[in-house]
Amino acid sequence: MRHEIRHNPDFGLVQVYFDQPGEQIVTESGAMVARDTGIEMKTSLQGGIGGALKRKLLGGESLFQNTFTATAPGQSMWFAPAPEGAIVCITMQPGMELFLQSGAYLASTPGVTLDTKWQGAKGFFSGGLFLIRAYGQGYLWFNCYGGAHVLDIGQQYHGYICDNTHMVAFTQGLQYNISKVGGLKSLFLGGEGLVCNFQGQGRLWLQTRNPSSLASFLHPFRPVKAKSSG
Amino acid sequence: MQVNLLYRPSQSLAQCWLQNGESVVAESGAMVGMSTNVQMQTQSGGFMKGLKRLFGGESFFRNTFTAQGGQGEVLFATPLCGDMAVLEAGHKQWCIQNSAYVASSPSVDVKTKTGGFKGMFSGAGLFLLETQGMGQVVIGTFGALEQVQVDGSMVIDTGHLAAWESTLTYKVGKSGSGWIASFLSGEGLVCHFEGQGTVYLQSRNAAEYGSTIGALLPAREQ
Amino acid sequence: MQHIVKYEPTFSMLQVSLAPGETIIAEAGSMVARSSSLTMEVKLNAGKNAGFFGKMKAFFIAIIRKIVGGETFFVNHFSSPQGGWVWLAPSLSGGIRPIQLAGNSMIFSAGAFLASAGDIDLKMRWGGLRALLAKEGAFFIEASGNGQIFVTSYGAIDEIDCNGSYIVDNGHIVGFDSSLNFKIRSGGGGLLGFMASGEGIVCEFQGQGKILIQSRNTSALVDWLTPMLPP
Repeated sequence: MRHEIRHNPDFGLVQVYFDQPGEQIVTESGAMVARDTGIEMKTSLQGGIGGALKRKLLGGESLFQNTFTATAPGQSMWFAPAPEGAIVCITMQPGMELFLQSGAYLASTPGVTLDTKWQGAKGFFSGGLFLIRAYGQGYLWFNCYGGAHVLDIGQQYHGYICDNTHMVAFTQGLQYNISKVGGLKSLFLGGEGLVCNFQGQGRLWLQTRNPSSLASFLHPFRPVKAKSSG
Repeated sequence: MQVNLLYRPSQSLAQCWLQNGESVVAESGAMVGMSTNVQMQTQSGGFMKGLKRLFGGESFFRNTFTAQGGQGEVLFATPLCGDMAVLEAGHKQWCIQNSAYVASSPSVDVKTKTGGFKGMFSGAGLFLLETQGMGQVVIGTFGALEQVQVDGSMVIDTGHLAAWESTLTYKVGKSGSGWIASFLSGEGLVCHFEGQGTVYLQSRNAAEYGSTIGALLPAREQ
Repeated sequence: MQHIVKYEPTFSMLQVSLAPGETIIAEAGSMVARSSSLTMEVKLNAGKNAGFFGKMKAFFIAIIRKIVGGETFFVNHFSSPQGGWVWLAPSLSGGIRPIQLAGNSMIFSAGAFLASAGDIDLKMRWGGLRALLAKEGAFFIEASGNGQIFVTSYGAIDEIDCNGSYIVDNGHIVGFDSSLNFKIRSGGGGLLGFMASGEGIVCEFQGQGKILIQSRNTSALVDWLTPMLPP
């Protein structure tokens, strides 16, 4: 299977060419842009109802995933995420762990497993942010809203503080804690909200835009609900 | 302050490198990340200044980021996808559309321009800022930024104006001949610039993007 | 007429310089800047040879669409006896592709038209009831003639060479050669697939020809953003 990410960092689009029949790719529901008619598409609940529900309630990913199977050599397909921005492809090896922000998962090959990571006391509180843990062997694609900015903590930087809503993914080896930057006054007035402080050795991906700002910008442009007459 | 602009022209990120003790002032909500030795302080710059900014469409508060105990780095971004540019204030001064302001050196005074721009942005809640002093101003817009040299005259749609040199004179008017034509043409207001100077145009109009997508979104409570 | 497209693929802007007497027709609201010498005239885009009823029909469709939201089909004619320049841009983030037509015709999604020059005829076509289910809209534009047409997209534009059969998600179609046969249907995968796959309506193309796709679609953006909106 050959794959290529086009138009990064603006409108990442993945183009996949299957070499052998039987090769498969699993994508987030709704991600397909175009495909050879011969490719089989099956909708499934990954990990059974229990697993899928758990992911839906906690991980924020849609309940359904689509599995695309090639039926002949040379078939191709294209998939893309909903928000504008970059796509990152990670080659997962046994022993590697990747933690993804809910909503960033785009696609993977069947050897990669997704699991929700329950935060407990260290949870992220705002914006419904949860983490998915990915492990296994194969490819994993995740998307950013905006460009993908990579930071190597431990080498380039001793530590890094990032705004909660801009955090996309990080590898094992990093510890983090959530805090309010600048004290209580800043939380409500400074507009910066919650931040994550990362320490340790590992790689961190930030997205250069955040969805809540887009939602706030668009809010006044929405049609207004008609008032119900009493 | 050294500013490195990344991922232009669409997903721009401003990477500001501060010397020990150096500060940068930014629009509240613009911070994406920073190295652990940078301290952030929220300030309104005084109540009156804050109010003026609020009426100008900027948020009441701006944040000041200072590097302590060594060099530091702060990353800034805009709410929408788009481009960024660094304007040098000093020999030239600038008029900036308020939603384009991202960050600036503390030595530049960026305040709401009073008067002289009546009706420029047809009710889109946009106002003008102007700069004074010496230093850098980082602007960011929805769309790509094109730097244009006006030499004589030029007509620019007001929704596509990001910033211009304050030496230019301008006049706001309708685009079409007559009000019906303007309504149907969808062009809104245009700005007739005269003189010599630099204009920063943005290749998209945020309000148009907002209405196009906003119309597709579910209705809101109020 | 000369043109360049800058800032592809996201915030593309079309920069056109017109020789004396040349005209470019542009979608209403798309002007960014122009030389002071150009004049702008608003016209209804009813198709070249539309008679009175053709014009009336186009007028009503245009008004309805302006109210409902979407392309208005009012266009601006930019020209000048001395020549000049004009810069055009669409409202969404995305690319601009110049396409040369030489007697052939292409079909585009209604929102894809930005500008045209030369002897181009634009006709609105109804996509059928199934197309109505697709939130992206039921209207297509058929462009034919000799000249240039500039199309825009939400997202970057890519070209697929259809050689037999290819399926494209409806919201990602920018345009295609009118020589292709197309059938609008559900995404596939059976009943569970239709309801749950999120793939919605797709277009199955048969034949030989070019398909232009865009790498984002507005309904996916709406679905992604909706859970994050305040009430």
